[in-house]
Amino acid sequence: MTLLKLEGIRKSFGAIDVLHGVDLSVEAGEVVGLVGDNGAGKSTLMKTITGIYQADAGSITFDGRGILDLDPGERRRLGIEMIYQDLSLARQQDVSSNIFLGREPTRKLFGLFPFVDKAAMDRQAAQMIERLNAHLPSINRSVGSFSGGQQQTVAIARALTFNPKLVIMDEPTAALAVREVQSVLDLIRRLKSEGIAVILISHRLNDVLSVTDRIVVLRHGRAEADLVTGNTNMSEVVSRIVGGGDMAAAASHEARG
Amino acid sequence: MIGKMLRMSLVSVAALSLSVLGAQAQDGQYGVLMKTLSNPFWGAMGQGVEDGAKEAGVDYFVQAVESDQAAEPQLNVCNTMLERQPVAMITAAINSTNLLPCLKAAQEQGIKVVDLDGNLDQAILDKEGIEITFRIGSDNVAAGAQGAEYLVSQLGADATGAVLVIEGLSGNITGQKRAEGFAEKLAELAPGLEIVASLPGDWDRGKAASITNDIMTRNPDLVAIFAANDGMALGAVEAAYAAGKGDQIVIIGVDGNSDAVKSIKDGRLNASVAQLPYLVGKQAVENVKKALAGEEVPSDIAVPTLVLTQEVLDDGSEPLLEYVK
Amino acid sequence: MSSDLATPGVWTRAQRASVERLHIRLESLLVLVALSALMAVLSPYFLSFSNLLNILLATSTIGILAIAATFVIGSGGLDLSLGSVMGLSGVVGAFVAVNLGAPSVLGVFACILAGGIAGYINGQLVTRAFVPAFIVTLGMLGLARGLALVISGGRVIYGLPEFMLYLGQGRPFGIPMPVIIFIATAFIAHCVLAYTRFGRHTLALGDSESAARAAGIRVERQRRILYTLSGALAGLAGLLFSARINSGDPTAGLNYELTAITAAIIGGTNLFGGRGSILGTMIGALIMGVLQNGLNLLAVQSYYQQMAIGAVLILAVFIDQYQVRKESRV
Repeated sequence: MTLLKLEGIRKSFGAIDVLHGVDLSVEAGEVVGLVGDNGAGKSTLMKTITGIYQADAGSITFDGRGILDLDPGERRRLGIEMIYQDLSLARQQDVSSNIFLGREPTRKLFGLFPFVDKAAMDRQAAQMIERLNAHLPSINRSVGSFSGGQQQTVAIARALTFNPKLVIMDEPTAALAVREVQSVLDLIRRLKSEGIAVILISHRLNDVLSVTDRIVVLRHGRAEADLVTGNTNMSEVVSRIVGGGDMAAAASHEARG
Repeated sequence: MIGKMLRMSLVSVAALSLSVLGAQAQDGQYGVLMKTLSNPFWGAMGQGVEDGAKEAGVDYFVQAVESDQAAEPQLNVCNTMLERQPVAMITAAINSTNLLPCLKAAQEQGIKVVDLDGNLDQAILDKEGIEITFRIGSDNVAAGAQGAEYLVSQLGADATGAVLVIEGLSGNITGQKRAEGFAEKLAELAPGLEIVASLPGDWDRGKAASITNDIMTRNPDLVAIFAANDGMALGAVEAAYAAGKGDQIVIIGVDGNSDAVKSIKDGRLNASVAQLPYLVGKQAVENVKKALAGEEVPSDIAVPTLVLTQEVLDDGSEPLLEYVK
Repeated sequence: MSSDLATPGVWTRAQRASVERLHIRLESLLVLVALSALMAVLSPYFLSFSNLLNILLATSTIGILAIAATFVIGSGGLDLSLGSVMGLSGVVGAFVAVNLGAPSVLGVFACILAGGIAGYINGQLVTRAFVPAFIVTLGMLGLARGLALVISGGRVIYGLPEFMLYLGQGRPFGIPMPVIIFIATAFIAHCVLAYTRFGRHTLALGDSESAARAAGIRVERQRRILYTLSGALAGLAGLLFSARINSGDPTAGLNYELTAITAAIIGGTNLFGGRGSILGTMIGALIMGVLQNGLNLLAVQSYYQQMAIGAVLILAVFIDQYQVRKESRV
């Protein structure tokens, strides 16, 4: 069943056209790698899915309904989560405040005033962190005092707490140590086994090849190629990223990546 | 860190308390509430209060706020002063209403209330049921009128030409009275002199200079400027001389402050209607003492104003000159 | 875990945490207590019931403005128009009640509405016209003050109707109405900021606008509500002051925005947003109130009072920064 379907998505910022009509589809429980050179439009495309950016043209359907006119909060409620490259955390707030930001559970005080149920937030946040097998110094500290890996844990916990159907990860491994990278890849496999679809944006093609079902190459604002991971290899992916058969450029890109 | 802070504060509490306890107040104090002391006029009045209190042998304390527009802060200070239970409150209110609740409370406590410099409005006081012991100050309308009289004495009753009036801060009653007094008297004495503009200079020297420039451009035939205080008059003087019209325009200020006296002696500013704030402060204390002793005191005490000109200053025989600070 | 060992001192971490659960910084509370003790020793008039009411009464206007400042600054914004809007609201209320002869309730309503409208305009300009908050509210500072002078003709509008007066001068149970309204407002504001989604979103917005946006918070709408709320609170302050002095004063609240911001910052609000609490701000406002009252009782010149408040502001932020840095080192 097709979970997410993008057709002819266009987006420009002023005079700069970033997306020139992108088509993309993701099945439920599928892991799709989204690769492309810097400036290919990967992050912009993802932000049009989450609703941070409004697409200029095209259509997006999720779970069978059009979502273009929904705001980010409404799309999140439908089950679209994104872990941003900059993590988008509120650094002065504590763990549960970040995890539940925008979706705080409330209980009525005197049957009238909806007060945020911080105790429930803390409890559920602790459970979520535990389920991720992660360790944080304290759940009541502001996340700004955490290490990069710990902050990433909070961002992941936030994306997973509300039973998402699709999780978009923008360069989740870029700033991590080797051991931490492995645990993120394990997490992606676990999500897949639970039937959750994942879109993984990454420059680390080895990671993409090892964990995805399909790889979509974005180039100059278009979906240049749609490759089944089992039938492709590193050099094909690289050559599609840089465009055509320029193997010298491909090799240098690989060395950089 | 916190322990250290606590220790430090304890030591300073002890030290300060020793130094202050000796000077603690007793009954029978006069509370004096000024607008601000950061202005020569109020400074001189404070000096008068101090000298008057020393001569009369009474105990007093003076308080003021940071600016002459801090209406609510002055009310708060007034309320705090009541805690010290003075026998009299000599108050120079920032406007006609900002001290009302405090003055009412003072009256209920049996404290005598004096309106220093006439900022209160009798009609409002009547409605509020506040009875003041007396008001004392210069008659600002009369001061404005004296300015007009001086101007006519210089130009003659048949003179014609444009006149500029620079008012005080918008909404300030003192400035309004001076401007009104001047305008009315001028219309009466020399109808040929036309007030072409009457603009608020906000007691600000620079602003008065800009206004003067603008009006000199619009009315090249400007013959006189009346400013509601000396600071603004001096701003007008600078602008007029810079435009090369210094000796064509008669410029008059109000207050008689030291800068103005200097400028008059130098032959730049033509005249200043001198208030005698020192005398106002001194007489206020003297009259409070009388009232407390049960003597009759007039409800309205007008302290005279004096037109300062180069001749008056050079002559030096005017007895009131002693109080021009 | 090692942090328990790393912070020896008078207060254990547990005690500190229990105070901070109320969303206040321990240091500011300590400063308030020490300052009050100092004043009590220095002046025999300080510790009387009537003087304590004096302090609260003197703090009520600034305190309400400081609540507004806490919300707006906490959200990463700034409202420099607070004092002017307070002056404008008081004049509008007095104009409606006195010059137009409308009933008291309308006068009260007009005060708060005038403030709310000014705040709403601020919010619209900040979120739709993309003019920085500093500029918008600086402009409003001039606009509102000028309009107050225009409406009043530069003079105080005297003689408010009975019910409005009661809000400023009434004393149920011997406690001045402005104090009661101030404390009630602070209580509600504290609950809203600390315990509701609106409050949490406000601070998250000040912390990271992009995070708030990603979390689905309607950032622009939130900001418009915050500026409107700020204006309405300034209107309430204007109402209380006008009612106290039985007149709309066009110069009321001059420079109050800076005092209100100072109170919020002393109380632990982060000037760049993301952190703030109303209880903390109340402590900040009371520190300034106690300082001014005490120095007034000692008949210290107002010049020194301004110096003292400036010094307290710098000291408070210094201690705060010291704590923040220490925590992030652990």
